[in-house]
Amino acid sequence: MRELLEFLARGLVEEPAAVHVEEIEEIEGEVILELEVAEDDLGRVIGRGGRVANALRAVVKAAAVPAEKRAIVDILD
Amino acid sequence: MEGAENAAETLPAEPADRVRAVLERIVNELELDADVVVSESDGEISAEVEGEEVGLLIGRHGQTLDAVQLLCYQIAYRGHSDRKRVTVDAAGYRVRQGEELRRRADLAAEDAIRDGRAIELEPMGSNERRVVHEHLRERPEVETYSEGDEPHRCVVVAPLVTD
Repeated sequence: MRELLEFLARGLVEEPAAVHVEEIEEIEGEVILELEVAEDDLGRVIGRGGRVANALRAVVKAAAVPAEKRAIVDILD
Repeated sequence: MEGAENAAETLPAEPADRVRAVLERIVNELELDADVVVSESDGEISAEVEGEEVGLLIGRHGQTLDAVQLLCYQIAYRGHSDRKRVTVDAAGYRVRQGEELRRRADLAAEDAIRDGRAIELEPMGSNERRVVHEHLRERPEVETYSEGDEPHRCVVVAPLVTD
């Protein structure tokens, strides 16, 4: 999940080296993925009306299913 | 880890190849037994994920598939101004959905013409609305437009008054 989110985010941004995802699992089975990108790239991972952010959430959510986990994507701004 | 670090650098340059790379990565991550086929025409990059059990990739009402398609488009054309449409299908889902949508659009058109009033279809996403608009464009006796705000935006099919 973390690697997939990083991969997708790096594909979306102008500064892939600045992409970082922190994986936090405080509650068993519930993974919070904190996505950090360069300030100028925030719009690229959020998109008009949050469309890109929601798409990232949907795909990561699906990727959590085989691992039998719940994933939450949090975009840090 | 190494792969993830180098992911952006290893993404191919050509948009169609990027679409394939993104889809293969997602298929792998979702642990699907499926093949990715990508074709490109003048106006469109079209990708199909072929496999038996691809429901996870499609999601409820195709929401996950729409998300994958949007990400493929954004990643394929990052930094490009000359863009084509990107469509991603899985096991013929969009083809089947398209047939059902066109059938419902035809029924709405017939009702609109017969009753002489505008018929509102149920709310749907922009991909589905486009299918309805394009399909009914062929019928000169009706016009279509979209009304309302996402996610409740819907297509209205109205009879064209001729005099």
